[in-house]
Amino acid sequence: MTKIWRETGFVENDPWVIETDEVKATEEQKPLLGLDELIAKAEESNDIGLGVLIKPADDVRKLEPYLYRLEIVAVAFPAFNDGRAFSHASLLRQRLGYTNELRAIGDVLIDQVPLMLRVGIDSFSVSNATALKRLAENRLPAIPHHYQPAVRDADAGKGYSWRRQAKPAA
Amino acid sequence: MYRYDEFDHAFVAERVEQFRDQVQRRLSGELAEDAFKPLRLMNGVYLQLHAYMLRIAIPYGTLSSRQLRMLAHIARTYDRGYGHFTTRQNLQFNWPKLSDMPDVLADLATVEMHAMQTSGNCIRNVTADHFAGAAADEIADPRPYAEILRQWSSVHPEFSFLPRKFKIAVTGAERDRAAIQVHDIGLHLKKNDKGEIGFAVYVGGGQGRTPMIAKLIRDFLPEQDLLSYTTAIMRVYNLHGRRDNKYKARIKILVHETGAEELARQVEVEFAALKDTELKLPEKDVEAIAAYFAPPALPERSEGWENLARWKKADPDFARWVQQNVQPHKNPDYGMVTISLKPIGGIPGDASDGQMDAIADLAEEYAFDEIRVSHEQNLILPHVALADLEAVYRGLVAINLAEANAGLITDIIACPGLDYCALANARSIPLAQEISRRFGNAERQAEIGELKIKISGCINACGHHHVGHIGLLGVEKKGAELYQITLGGSGDEHTSIGEIIGRGFEPDRVTDAIETIVDTYLGLRLDHSENFLAAYRRVGPQPFKTALYGSAAEAA
Amino acid sequence: MVDKVLTANRLTDGIAVWLDANGEWSTSLQEALVARHNEAVAALEAIGKKSYADNEVVDVTVIEVQETNGILWPLRLRERIRAQGPTMEYAPGYAPADPEFIAV
Repeated sequence: MTKIWRETGFVENDPWVIETDEVKATEEQKPLLGLDELIAKAEESNDIGLGVLIKPADDVRKLEPYLYRLEIVAVAFPAFNDGRAFSHASLLRQRLGYTNELRAIGDVLIDQVPLMLRVGIDSFSVSNATALKRLAENRLPAIPHHYQPAVRDADAGKGYSWRRQAKPAA
Repeated sequence: MYRYDEFDHAFVAERVEQFRDQVQRRLSGELAEDAFKPLRLMNGVYLQLHAYMLRIAIPYGTLSSRQLRMLAHIARTYDRGYGHFTTRQNLQFNWPKLSDMPDVLADLATVEMHAMQTSGNCIRNVTADHFAGAAADEIADPRPYAEILRQWSSVHPEFSFLPRKFKIAVTGAERDRAAIQVHDIGLHLKKNDKGEIGFAVYVGGGQGRTPMIAKLIRDFLPEQDLLSYTTAIMRVYNLHGRRDNKYKARIKILVHETGAEELARQVEVEFAALKDTELKLPEKDVEAIAAYFAPPALPERSEGWENLARWKKADPDFARWVQQNVQPHKNPDYGMVTISLKPIGGIPGDASDGQMDAIADLAEEYAFDEIRVSHEQNLILPHVALADLEAVYRGLVAINLAEANAGLITDIIACPGLDYCALANARSIPLAQEISRRFGNAERQAEIGELKIKISGCINACGHHHVGHIGLLGVEKKGAELYQITLGGSGDEHTSIGEIIGRGFEPDRVTDAIETIVDTYLGLRLDHSENFLAAYRRVGPQPFKTALYGSAAEAA
Repeated sequence: MVDKVLTANRLTDGIAVWLDANGEWSTSLQEALVARHNEAVAALEAIGKKSYADNEVVDVTVIEVQETNGILWPLRLRERIRAQGPTMEYAPGYAPADPEFIAV
């Protein structure tokens, strides 16, 4: 079972789907397009509200001209230890100034969620049972003291300019 | 040395609790091994042949006596009464229980220590010159920058799942005692013409399967740009380092395949975007960190000169120890002491809990409470008054760690090898012991002079054999151990990778082969002042090949 | 077929263990249950998989041994060292491996 989680809770009726030979988007759903597909679609149409799936080897900077037409960027973690999407997320948020939904998909495990949040990922497609359980309980294994600035807004950490402190939960 | 502030204490406490939770979930079965493994690796917990292994971080090799006593306590309480100092200035325990780890980490936290990021595909312990802050030839102390990098790289959200491990080393003198050119990033602290502090930046050095010497990609990086430039390198590596093949995943392969110039260009592009962001280092922060590394106030101890002369005349063993194991300090009343953890026939780099406690006592009484771990698996007391050398020596004699062999042929570096390590193909330790015994005679060692033997039990090269003057690589052949010999490697400022000289040797033939190599050197050196490495660089491998394999010999 | 035994490391303390005739994990190789036929090896592997899934052990493998006069001798040097411990004196109170057992 796969669910979509955000810090506000689990999301019902998420429209986004990755199309395969067997699975196609229904009327109520929208496809997450591959990068090349997305660029082609954006060039040939005026569509907005699009969704794109960034694979680890993709160059995320290619999205720059199309950002305002994207409702969601999904970044893939095919294995939890493939850390490229952490850089994709950082670049999207900090370099390209992308502000809409940024979703982690793939091998999303609870121990990496706090790091993903810090690089600006704000929604999670989760299948792992332990992760689902811990997210439902809102028990994230996060460390509030940070030794480096990251995408996510944080308070200044005491002592040195590179330190940060997680903002208290809203 | 650096002292934790409230922030550091809180972070480590949080991390210990986080790992405690992870261990508990693992032991209860809620967390499976394949998901747990990278988490335990990020906390320095390996699984070896006989048991788990815990690798404790000793940031840039610096320890206080209080910390060393805690390591002794852990050895005694949770392990088998000893620890092993490594070629990355860390300490390893070979028998800890997983179920005890959270308590071990909690104990370590009380003395401002931890085991974070000593393993896994993340940024590892930042190592530095073990004589930092004391060496007479130092231009600037590298440790404040190592500390800044250590902090900044701790649980970095973008760089916790790199293609492979990442090792950074910093040096602050012209003589490179940190082997920076065989690190993923090597930083050479220097001053420009205006006297401003900055770094020469080297990238893509490494040993292992494909040893490579790092490339200079930046001649002078201003101090304030350290974190932004390092971020740029890490981001390029994280995105483009190979992930298809574990043996091609280090940044050295990326540099090699991309080309140093092109890689430097990519880094500069990224750096340009990061240069003026919040990563810029404020001068006041650098000064605040540097203040922790201010040298201790060293009282005048000029009586040491006369006393030292008298003691040396009275005791030739002591004289030899001073000659070999004490190096010049910035302050002429002082010396930098190397405590050799290579007693003749002993296990290189090992220390018992009793020895650790005794060294802690010596450090507290005579060495301003500071100990260093060198990447050559020895301990250093960087600030000892000449007037106290005799007392320190007696203290070391009492614990059997007064061997006067620093840098000599019996000062062997050896990885744990097949006696401990699940990655190994052959043993290192028994070979080191045998070579040590064969060459143990003090006069003979002095005659031979500086000769660095480094032994690795597998291609991963944790024994740094590629940069040994004589390197030994253990391999497995038809179920038995075999040792390949390399010559002419060096990890200093003129880094070179050792050359394989021919067919490998069976375990019981290696020591004789070393004798042949040594005898050949002694026979062709210009004089005693031409050490082995210099002689090898002058004459090349042929005389040694001929001596070992005969005049018609070709390399295997 | 070469004789085989099942080995692993205990989850809690990492200590090397071998599966014995009672289906328990023993710290002594000499207690190990020997599989002499393919079916027996398959059975060992199945037990190993289950034990791993039950979070008792990690790093489960089948290794080759030779039985001579009732003594089990692993064919690989690595496994002989695993069975006996480090091959030199390494800490007071712990005997080093038997050199004759270790020898090729």
